[in-house]
Amino acid sequence: MALLNEEILQNVTEMLSDMPNAVKLVIFTKSKDCEYCPQIVQLAEEVAAVSDKVTVETHNFDAAQDEAAALNIEMAPAIAILGEKDYGLRFYGIPSGYEFSTLLHGIQKASVGISDLDESTQAFLGSLKKPVHLQVFVTPTCPYCPRAAVLAYEMATESDLVHAEVVESMEFQELATEFNVMGVPLSIVNGKERVEGAAPPEMIVKAIKAALA
Amino acid sequence: MLEFNLQPETKKKATSGDLYDVVIVGAGPAGMTTAIYTSRDGLKTLILEKESVGGLAATTHLIENYPGFPDGINGMELMERFRKQAERFGTELVEFGEVVKVDPRDAGRFEVHAQGGQVYQGRTVVLATGSRPKKLGIPGEKEYYGRGLSYCATCDGPFFRDKDVIVIGAGNSGLQDGIPMLDYANHVTFLEFLPTSRAERILQDRAREHPKSTLRFNQQVTEIKGDKTVTGVVAIDRETGEEQLFPTDGVFIYVGYSPDSEFVADLVARDKWGYIHSDENMRTKVAGLYAIGDVRADNPAQLSISVGNGTRAALDIREYLLKLEAEG
Repeated sequence: MALLNEEILQNVTEMLSDMPNAVKLVIFTKSKDCEYCPQIVQLAEEVAAVSDKVTVETHNFDAAQDEAAALNIEMAPAIAILGEKDYGLRFYGIPSGYEFSTLLHGIQKASVGISDLDESTQAFLGSLKKPVHLQVFVTPTCPYCPRAAVLAYEMATESDLVHAEVVESMEFQELATEFNVMGVPLSIVNGKERVEGAAPPEMIVKAIKAALA
Repeated sequence: MLEFNLQPETKKKATSGDLYDVVIVGAGPAGMTTAIYTSRDGLKTLILEKESVGGLAATTHLIENYPGFPDGINGMELMERFRKQAERFGTELVEFGEVVKVDPRDAGRFEVHAQGGQVYQGRTVVLATGSRPKKLGIPGEKEYYGRGLSYCATCDGPFFRDKDVIVIGAGNSGLQDGIPMLDYANHVTFLEFLPTSRAERILQDRAREHPKSTLRFNQQVTEIKGDKTVTGVVAIDRETGEEQLFPTDGVFIYVGYSPDSEFVADLVARDKWGYIHSDENMRTKVAGLYAIGDVRADNPAQLSISVGNGTRAALDIREYLLKLEAEG
C-alpha cells in the first residue's frame, strides 16, 4: 500500500517540478531494531517516482560502513540528501508527520544549492572558519519543528562548514536522552549550545558564535 | 499509522517599498480570513507572521467544533488550507517577520516595522497577533522549560510515553491537549485552580471517565520541582490549605493566554489585560487600523469567532478604502 495519498503526491510533484539539479537520497537502513526502515525506503521511492531529478540509493548501515563514513553517518536509519555536491543535509529516522515537509525542503535546497537566508546571516556564515555541527531534535507531531529543521538546512546549504542533522527524537531516544531532550524543536550547536523552540536565524547565529568562542 | 503532512514554505519576497492596501499582522485564522477576503477582492494584501502560519490553532491536535468537519480536523491541516486559500488570491506572506512597531503616517498610510529592519507600507493595518500561552510565573517554571516543562503537549507529549505527566489547567485547552496523552502516558493528572472545570462537557467527560486520568480541583500550583529535569509539582489545596507534592516526569502548562499587543500599547486602547478594544466593525480608535481575533478585547478565543472578525474587518476595509479614494 502506498504511504502517500494522491493529494500529497500531487503537492510533492508540484514542489519538485522546477528543480534545477539532480538530488540523490542515500538511505542507510539497519537489519535490527529499525521499526520504520522499510517505510523510509518506500517513502523515498514514492517521492523519487514523481520527479525525474530525484534518485534513491539504499545501503545497509552494518554492511556499508565505508559509504556511511564517507558521508559522516554514524547511526541509522539515516538519509543523506545530496545535490550537485554534499551540502551536509541529513535526516535521521523517518520523515513522517510534519517532518515530511523537512525532507522535501531538504531536497529543494540540495537541488538549488542556494539559501534563502537574509544578507546578514549569509555574511556571518561566509565568515566562518571552523566547522559547525547543527543537530535539530524534532518529533513528527510538532508543527513548529520543520521551521527549525529547515533553517538548519538553509545554513548548511549556505556554508560548506555547516553540517545539519535533523533527528527524529522518538527513534533515537538514547541520543535524545544523552542531550536531555524533553521538548522540541531543540537545536544543538557543536554538541553544546542549546536553542529551544523555532528560533529566528539571529538566535542560531548567536549560539554558533557562543559555541565557537 | 504513519501520517505525512506538507507545509510548503512560501517564497514570495514581499518588497518593503511597495504600498499595500492591507498589511495584516499575524497569520492565524483571523488574519488569514481577512486576507482571503481582501485579496479575493483585488486588494494588495500582505501578511507578516512572526513564527509560522496557523497561530495557536495550528498546535491543536484535533479541532472538533469548527463547522464543516464532522470528524474533526488537525489544526495545522486546517490552517494550511486557510493559507492556500489566501495565497490562491494573491496574498503575500512573510514568515519570521515579527512586527515591532506600527507607525501611522499621513492619512491612509502606515509604516509597519519588522524586527529585521524591514519597513512595510500599508494603507490599512490589521492587528491579528492573537495571544500566547500564559506563564504561571512560579519558581522552577523558567528553569525547567524544555527539561520536562512544556506549553505544547502536541509537540512534546511523545517524550512521556509510559511516564506520569501533570497538566496544569483543566479548561478547554488543557483538556483538549492533555486527553490525547492518555493514549500513551502512564498517567495524566489535571490540576485545576478553580473548583470546577470550565471546559466543554464532552472533554470533561472524556477526562473523567478515562482510567489513566485524575482531575483535581482547587489546586494552586506554587512551584515546579526538579533536579536535572522535572520531578514534581507543588500545589496548595485552596479548600484545606494543605500543601502537596505531586511527583511527575513532565508538566504541561495550560493556564490561559495573554494577548500579543505590547508593540501597539501607545497606539490603541487596551483593557487591563492588554486586549485591544475595537468596535463592531473591528476598527480601533486609529482610522485604518483594525484589531481582530484573540487579541481583541471581549472576544472568546474561538476559531469561528476569529473567522467572523476577520470577515468583518475585510468588509469594513473595502468601505474605508473606497471612501479614502473618494476623498482623494
